[in-house]
Amino acid sequence: MKYLQYHWKSRTCAVLLISVVISVLLISLELTDWAAQINQQGYSHGGEGGEGNKVPSFLRYILPFVKELVLIGVPMLLTLLFLKISRMLKRSPNR
Amino acid sequence: MSDWKQDLHKTRYVMDVLLLISFMLVSAPQATGLTGHEWLSVLFIVPFAVHLLLHWDWIKQSAKRFIQHISAKERFSLVWNYLLYVMMLLATVSGFLVSVALLPTLNIELHIQDFWSKIHHDSATLIMPIIGVHLALHWRWIVNLTKRMRMKGAKV
Repeated sequence: MKYLQYHWKSRTCAVLLISVVISVLLISLELTDWAAQINQQGYSHGGEGGEGNKVPSFLRYILPFVKELVLIGVPMLLTLLFLKISRMLKRSPNR
Repeated sequence: MSDWKQDLHKTRYVMDVLLLISFMLVSAPQATGLTGHEWLSVLFIVPFAVHLLLHWDWIKQSAKRFIQHISAKERFSLVWNYLLYVMMLLATVSGFLVSVALLPTLNIELHIQDFWSKIHHDSATLIMPIIGVHLALHWRWIVNLTKRMRMKGAKV
C-alpha cells in the first residue's frame, strides 16, 4: 500500500476539509425557496406495504441489484457506442 | 496477482473494484435493510476516500489541465468527475440528514425534511447513470488493466 500511505494524513485532511466545506454549502440548500416548496408539498417514494409485498422474498434481494446494473450499464453502453461512433466519424474524412 | 500493491495502476484497479462493489451494496437499501444501508454508507467513505487519494496527482493537475488545450473527451471527463464527486457528497450528506437508524443510535435527533428525502432519493438514483458514463470514459483503462491482472506472473 505504498501509494496509499504516501502523504496520506495531509491528503486525507485536505480531502475531508474540502468535502466538509462543499457539504456545508450543499446543506445550505435547505434555506432556499425550492426546499421550502418541496417541504410544503411533501414527498414520498414508496416504502412499506403496497405492491412491494407481492414480490417473492428472494426477488427483493435481487431486484435492487438488477436496477443498479441497468441504471449503470445502459448509460455506460450508450456512452461507449457514442464514443465509438465519434471515433469512426473522426477517421472517415481522411479516407 | 500478488504484486498489485507494487503497481499504482493495479492498486487503483483493485481498490476501484472494491469501491464499485461497496457502492452497489450501499445503493441497495431494499436488499440490505435501512440499518445496514446506513452503516454501510459510513464504511463506504473509506473506499471513496481511498479512490480520491490514489488519484491525488490527477486531482492536483485537474484545474491546470482544464485551462490547457486538451481533447473534448478529456475536458468532458474532467467536468464529469467533479460532477460525480459533488453528487456523491450530496447523496452522502442528504443520507445523513434523513437517517432513521444511524444517528438515532448515536443519540442524535433530527427533524427529517421531505426536501432531503427527495434529494437523497434523486441524487442516489442519478449517481448510477453518472457512474455508468464515468466507467465508459475510462473503459480502455479498465479493459487493459483487466487483461494485465489476469496475466499470471506478469511483471510490474
